[in-house]
Amino acid sequence: MMHPAPWILFWFFVICCHLYLDYSLYRLWKGWSRGMKTGFAIRRLKMPVVRIWLYEVFLQRQLFSLSVMRWLVHQCIFWGFISLTFLSLTKFILLLLSRISFDAGLHDFFSQGAGYPFTKLWGDFFGLILFAGCAGALARRFVLRPVQTAHDQTDTFLTVYLLLMTLSGFMLESLRMALSPSDLDQYAFIGGLFMPARFGIVAGLGTWHAGTWIIHAFSGAAILAYLPHSKLLHSLLAPLVIALNAAEEEGRKDMYWPKTKQYRPTR
Amino acid sequence: MEMEACARCGECLAWCPAYAQDPRESICSRGKLGSLKRIVTSGLNGEEMKEFLEGLYECSACGQCHIVCPVRINTHELWERARESLVKAGIPQPEEQIKHLTAIRECNNSFAKPQTERGLWAETAWRAGLLKEPVRLWKEYQAPVLYFAGCTASFDPAMQTVAVQSARLLQEAGVDFSILGPDEPCCASKLRRMGDPGFADAAQQRADLFLRSGIGRIIVSCAGCFKGLHSDYAGILPASVEVLHLTEYLDRLIREGNLTPTRNVPMKVTYHDPCHLGRHNQIYREPRNILHAIPGLSLIEMRRHGPFSLCCGMGGGLKLAKPEIQKKMSAARIRQAEETGAEAIVTPCQTCQMGLMTGTEATSSGLKVYHITEMLIRSVCPEADRAHIEKAFTETETG
Ligand code: SF4
Ligand code: SF4
Repeated sequence: MMHPAPWILFWFFVICCHLYLDYSLYRLWKGWSRGMKTGFAIRRLKMPVVRIWLYEVFLQRQLFSLSVMRWLVHQCIFWGFISLTFLSLTKFILLLLSRISFDAGLHDFFSQGAGYPFTKLWGDFFGLILFAGCAGALARRFVLRPVQTAHDQTDTFLTVYLLLMTLSGFMLESLRMALSPSDLDQYAFIGGLFMPARFGIVAGLGTWHAGTWIIHAFSGAAILAYLPHSKLLHSLLAPLVIALNAAEEEGRKDMYWPKTKQYRPTR
Repeated sequence: MEMEACARCGECLAWCPAYAQDPRESICSRGKLGSLKRIVTSGLNGEEMKEFLEGLYECSACGQCHIVCPVRINTHELWERARESLVKAGIPQPEEQIKHLTAIRECNNSFAKPQTERGLWAETAWRAGLLKEPVRLWKEYQAPVLYFAGCTASFDPAMQTVAVQSARLLQEAGVDFSILGPDEPCCASKLRRMGDPGFADAAQQRADLFLRSGIGRIIVSCAGCFKGLHSDYAGILPASVEVLHLTEYLDRLIREGNLTPTRNVPMKVTYHDPCHLGRHNQIYREPRNILHAIPGLSLIEMRRHGPFSLCCGMGGGLKLAKPEIQKKMSAARIRQAEETGAEAIVTPCQTCQMGLMTGTEATSSGLKVYHITEMLIRSVCPEADRAHIEKAFTETETG
């Protein structure tokens, strides 16, 4: 079904992208550490700091109080992206562990056993969430056009990129189901909507599958290399900055927790 | 790192009081962060650098962008540090700011006046019968409390009322205090606000003076000086020296029953949170407690108050760099105050009071601008209200 060549190329590509990411982050870190006032002491992570961090990073409470719509869009992208990355990483680690028979049967359990529906539901659900988030972000940018929208083309590019990756993921799943149907396919409630027959594709499914896999897998890996140059970098740095600044505020005793919802911008 | 952490969400833009008056991307935090990032990566060309510098100084460091930023970026501190780095790199502040900073460095006050004049307000007030007893100098009597009037209330004839009223209220509450008088230094916080690299040394000198003098508690009536002594000196002035804003202390005195506002002050007022007291130090409750304690006085909040209080434009050296923007900002604040139907706007900072007055002037508003001490004085000892003080001081001057 799968040609070995794309696999080899893919892993080579992943390693290259990863190395590039590491190198870029190292260079950035060298620059940041020059500008840092002091080292970060773990003892500064007091309870209010941890509480703020959890609320702001995972629930994005501040954003919620500013705009429910923006919060929803951001939450969808955030949780969709994190959950799908987690799924892919887990699958990959289990695959590696299964090769050395160290996975306690979990690889088979999740890829073809009783855990398979769970994997399908997880993937489809968070794929849908990510898709909805990206679509919402684009609608906000091009239809609602709030005054504070950044006119940065790279941000639009990234959103479209993620949206297309999600779509290619659903298509890949549907092609896989078309090639080797199973009773458990019913759990792929979104992938099922993309069955190739619906689009008049009945022949050459193997080629379609290989092509879609190449697009999906390579674009996924390319994100690693693109990350240091894109807005995605804030997904790594924002949690760090929130923790550092909340700890500083706690130290200065001026930590804020405003009831933002009560107020609106003047203009 | 904060430059890269910016999510470009633009929330800062929607709330920035300076951007509201001059809507250019370079004014808001997102624009400034973007330029800073480029300065350290690819660099800016001449035009871009000019635009960036305009944005950097067309900013009152009010901290509104920090409060609304979902990433919690400590924006105003970043601007101050950026200003300092630029100065160190040979790119100076706007000319008016330089003059102001030079006055602080050379004369130890921002009015470029002889320090010997600093404590004269206390003598004049005592001679005019506005105080219950003379205010003693620290060098003669080391009281448990030091009242720190700050440059504006010490030198600006229009604002000396604040120093007199603060002293009188402390006396009414039976507080044993003294002042440094001619030895009172400028808090030097403006050096920090405008990026003067000499701030750390200046702060250390002041902290040494306080420690050498054995001062244990400092009461400050200016929000800017409070931010300076309380927050900017963190790590320089030991925590054993307690720095309180006057409103914190008066609120405490009222709650403990040492100061009782008794007379009716039948007024509808609105309250302006100074950035340095509110957003920068989270002091919102105490000044409001004071106003609520005054019989007959009713407080109506503006659309934007507390952490979202609209800046009057006096901070960060903005008034020096861009007076026309400061005027527009304070005019916007006055219009918000007028919307409440209040007859006066009250603030616990003499610098904000001055700033808001430019707003009433610009809008030809009939709204009165008062320091919070004026409201309390009217209820506690009306014989020391602004009208009496101004009259007495004018007579002393002409006499
Ligand atoms: S609010 Fe914060 S994250 Fe959003 S654009 Fe402004 S500085 Fe960046
Ligand atoms: S500190 Fe205030 S004036 Fe300056 S950019 Fe932020 S919101 Fe605008």
